[in-house]
This record gives sequence, C-alpha cells and structure tokens, in this order.
Amino acid sequence: MGRYIAGRLMQLVPVLFLISVIVFGVMHALPGDPAQLMLQGAEGGAPPERLEELREQMGLNDPLLVQYLRFAGNALVGDLGESIRFRTSVTNLILERFGYTLELALSGLVMAILIGLPLGMVAAVRQNSWVDTLAMSVAYAGASMPIFWFGLVMILLFSFNLGWLPPAGADGLQSLVLPALTLGFVSAGLISRLVRSSMIEVLGEDYIRTSRAKGLSERLVLWRHGLKNALIPVVTMIGLIFGGMLAGAVVTETVFSRPGVGRLVVAAILSKDYPLVQGCVLFLSVVYLVVNLAVDILYAWLDPRIRYAA
Amino acid sequence: MTASPPLPVSTSDEEVPAVASARARAVARFLRNRGAVIGLVVLVFWCVVALLGPLVAPYDPTDTVGMARRPPSGEFWLGTDTLGRDVFSRVLVGSQVSLLLGLISVGLGAVPGVLMGLIAGYFGGWVDTIISRFVDAMLAFPSILLALVIIAALGPSLPNVMIAVGIGTIPLYARLTRGSVLGVKRLPYVEAARVLGNPPSRIMLRHVLANCYAPIVVLSTLQVGNAILVGSGLSFLGLGAQPPTPEWGLMSAEGRDVLRRAWWISTFPGIAILSVVVACNLVGDGLRSALDPRMRVDA
Repeated sequence: MGRYIAGRLMQLVPVLFLISVIVFGVMHALPGDPAQLMLQGAEGGAPPERLEELREQMGLNDPLLVQYLRFAGNALVGDLGESIRFRTSVTNLILERFGYTLELALSGLVMAILIGLPLGMVAAVRQNSWVDTLAMSVAYAGASMPIFWFGLVMILLFSFNLGWLPPAGADGLQSLVLPALTLGFVSAGLISRLVRSSMIEVLGEDYIRTSRAKGLSERLVLWRHGLKNALIPVVTMIGLIFGGMLAGAVVTETVFSRPGVGRLVVAAILSKDYPLVQGCVLFLSVVYLVVNLAVDILYAWLDPRIRYAA
Repeated sequence: MTASPPLPVSTSDEEVPAVASARARAVARFLRNRGAVIGLVVLVFWCVVALLGPLVAPYDPTDTVGMARRPPSGEFWLGTDTLGRDVFSRVLVGSQVSLLLGLISVGLGAVPGVLMGLIAGYFGGWVDTIISRFVDAMLAFPSILLALVIIAALGPSLPNVMIAVGIGTIPLYARLTRGSVLGVKRLPYVEAARVLGNPPSRIMLRHVLANCYAPIVVLSTLQVGNAILVGSGLSFLGLGAQPPTPEWGLMSAEGRDVLRRAWWISTFPGIAILSVVVACNLVGDGLRSALDPRMRVDA
C-alpha cells in the first residue's frame, strides 16, 4: 500500500510541473504588462520612469526562465505573489475564501449523491418501466442544463415565490441549500446513470440470485448486496465529479453572490489581475489533483486488485 | 415536421452496395431511436432558425422596440428586456451565436486532437510517448481551469471563448483517435496501402481515418452541446460574448438583477440552451448506438 501511494505521488510531479508551465506560459506569453496595469489607476497614465522602476521591482525585466523559476519556487513554499487589485498576498486572498468554496463543493457532492443514487436505483429496479424513463429523463435534463439557469430558476421558485430560502449570500446553513442543490443537481444526472447501469449489471449476478433464493427480503437484497457492489464504479467517479463541482462553483458562486475562490477568479479575470488569476488556477488545480489522489488511494484500499495492477 | 428529409441524402450518393447497406442499416437504427429523432428535429429546427435568423425575428434584436421589462404579451411574445428589446427576437437570433460557438469550438478541438491522435497511434514509439504524456497531463486537470487561464490571457470575448473551450477538448479527441488507430493500423488493407508505396500522410488520412470516424463523429456531436453549455456559462460570467450581442448566457446574466420583477428575461434564453444541448446529446447518443451496435449505451 505504501508503495502504491508513493508511486501515485511520483506521478503527480510531472503533471504539476506541466500545469505550472502552462499557467505561467499562457499568462506571460501574451501582450499586457502587469506593471502597466498596476499603474493604470493613476490619472493620465504613468510616467515612463515610474513604470520602468516598477518593472524592475516586480522582476519583469528578467529572462522568462528566471521569472518562471522564481514563480515556481515561491509557489512551492505557498507564496503565490501579490494581487494587483487588492495589493495583498494572493495566498491569503485564496485561503480567506477557500472555506466557502469547499463547503459548497462538499455539500454539492452530498446533494448530487442524495439525488442521483435513489434516481439510479429506482430506474434500475424498475428497468424499462415508465419510472425508469422518467428517472432517466430527469437525469438527462440535469446533465444538459446550464447551471446558472437552474440556479436562477431555484431562486425564483424558492426565494421569490415561496420565500423559503435566501436568494444570495453565505450566511448560515439556509443560504447553502439552494447553491448546493443547484450544483448537485447537474452532477446527479451523471451519478444516476452510473448507478443505474452498474446496478443492472450487479442485479444479474449469481450472488443476487443466491440471496434471493435463500429467502432474503428484497430490501436486503437490494441495499446490502446490490447497492454495495453497484457503488464501486461510482466511487471511482467521485474525483471526476468533484472536478465538476469546482468548475460549477465558479458559476454557482456568481449566481448566488457567495464569496469563494470561483468568484474571486472571475473577478480577477475581469480586472486583469494576472497574479491572482494565476494563483487561483494553480491552487484549484492542486486541490483537484489532491482530491483525485485521495480517491485513488481510497479505491486501492477498498479493492486490492488495483494496487497490484499498478 | 419529420426528420426524414435530411437523412436519405447521406445514402443516395453511395455507389458501393455493401457500404450503402451498412449505412442504410445505421440510418434505420437511428430512426428507430425515438429520442434521437426528437433530438434531430429540435436541432434541425434551431439550424433553420439560425439560418433564417433576422428574417423570422419580429423585431431587430439589438433595437429598443418597446418599454423596458414588459411581460410576455401578444405584441412581445417573450416580453422585453431591461433596455426594451424584444426577448423573443433576441432568443431566435441568439441561436446563430450559440450554434456557431458549438461548431467552431468543436472544430478547434477536433482537428488538432484528431491529428495528434492519428500521428501518435500510427507512428508509435517516442512520438506516441510524447503526445500521450502530454494528453494525460492535460486530462489530469479540469479543462474549465485551462479555459479560464486562456480567457484571462486573451481577454473576454466570444472568439476567445471558442478558442478556450476548443483547446480544452483537444486531449479527448487525441486519446479517442489514438485508440481507434491502434485497432485499425494492423489491418491487412492498411498494410497493402503501405506496400503499394503510399506516403504515411495519405495512408493516415485516407485509409486509417476513414475507418475511425464513427467514434469521432459521436464525440463531436456530444461536444457541440457541451461547448454551448460551457460557452454560455462563460458568457453569463461576463467572460464571453459582450453586449449587445444576443447571446443566451449573456441575456440570462442581463436579466439576473431584475429577476424578481422580470423573470422572463433570464429564463427564456436558458430554456433555449437546454433544448439545444438536450438535442445534441440525444443525437449524439443515437449516433453512438446506430453507428456501432457493440457500444450501445443503456441510458
């Protein structure tokens, strides 16, 4: 097991390297000068000598390779540079908001499972009936839905018409329900389709027939023997789904005016705050990689066949 | 409205009977799939609307034609937006933007991706190793993050969204094509083409690719819907189409602040997106089961 974890950790190194090169490369290969942007606030443009001074100070006159090494070296110790707009540490800006994004992504994941699992189970058990068709249509619609639109409809329904839940903000559990539901519903489609197809496969297995033959109640057969085995492919997808949650959080946080890293990165792009964009994307990539690593390890721990194959 | 007119065209110009019958069987399988036919009808509808565009729209989509925020009525079927523009006209003309976004993004992802996959699969060796490692690394983090970086660098605009969304899908095509090429390149007819002295580029494009196209077509169809979904999301955030473009995501965003008083501004463009994306997915899934009965999905 230790060997497996070490091997997976080693695989992360080239990926992280490539991501840092892509993020750095794209942000630096293009027109637009961070120093100039920083001085843009000043009326009537910046004097050239002030610009040159700032460029020197920010290290923008160094060769690109030197700049990259400095960026990567600092990033490795958690220093992602300074935001142009906020004039403070990018790392702090992200960490202040990451709690909100994590809270949203995790509750979205729970919501996706709470919706997707029963939907897929019901569809599999009542295969080819109208229940199946209905459940799969809901799943299909969920996967084809613009997340911002679903969010707006939820606000219209539950905030404006029914007045049950707040339409915006991040103030307590109540304000988390609608964003989590919005984020979760879109991924619930994927989960329910997975659960359905793996459940159908599992229900055709011999051990299911055996447990039925020995007189177990149908509920026990389905929940104890069926679902437990049908969940394995779902577990492998959790990491991928979590990636979808991070991506969805960018939109969901904007729709519900929630603070978070997703909304931070959008604001950073709109205000051309390059160091902040760079830091947010790098940070979110690392979070995604770490989550996927954790899922892989969990999976290898659950299923010994994986760690010997690798 | 039926889906029959556009379909027989693809079979009529086929001279070889064996191919024609295989194709006819695929068409028949597709037509038996109720969902796929519904999807095709919806998609054809939107294509016609996009082509006719301003001709079918009752008003100019960027003109102020009435009072702001009028609810749906006989005069303005889907109401007017915050600037007094006709929402129905904007939704209709917006189909041009969304369909173009979908098609161009897919082209920008599929062409380089398929070429990379062809080269990696056909030549193998160190070429394959380099391309495959690169593809694996790109697949290892969410493409939305790559899209955000590209937009941050190029600036928010509709063409840049197409580029960003397209580039993010390159590895999907590369991996898929590589896999298919590996299966095809050892077939005797490819060997024969090589023995006859055809250059590798000709063998790859004419002989190998011709036998790998089915999964690529399926992925592309599904990706049209996905690109429209991601692209409209980026436009909603202000990172894509800019005002006064009648883009569905942007229109939803413009109605967001007045959602309580004028729900129609945000909701109708979203329904349009949903219908196009569902249609693309239905057609894509239908093509998948029609083109290759072995990879039939059960959803």
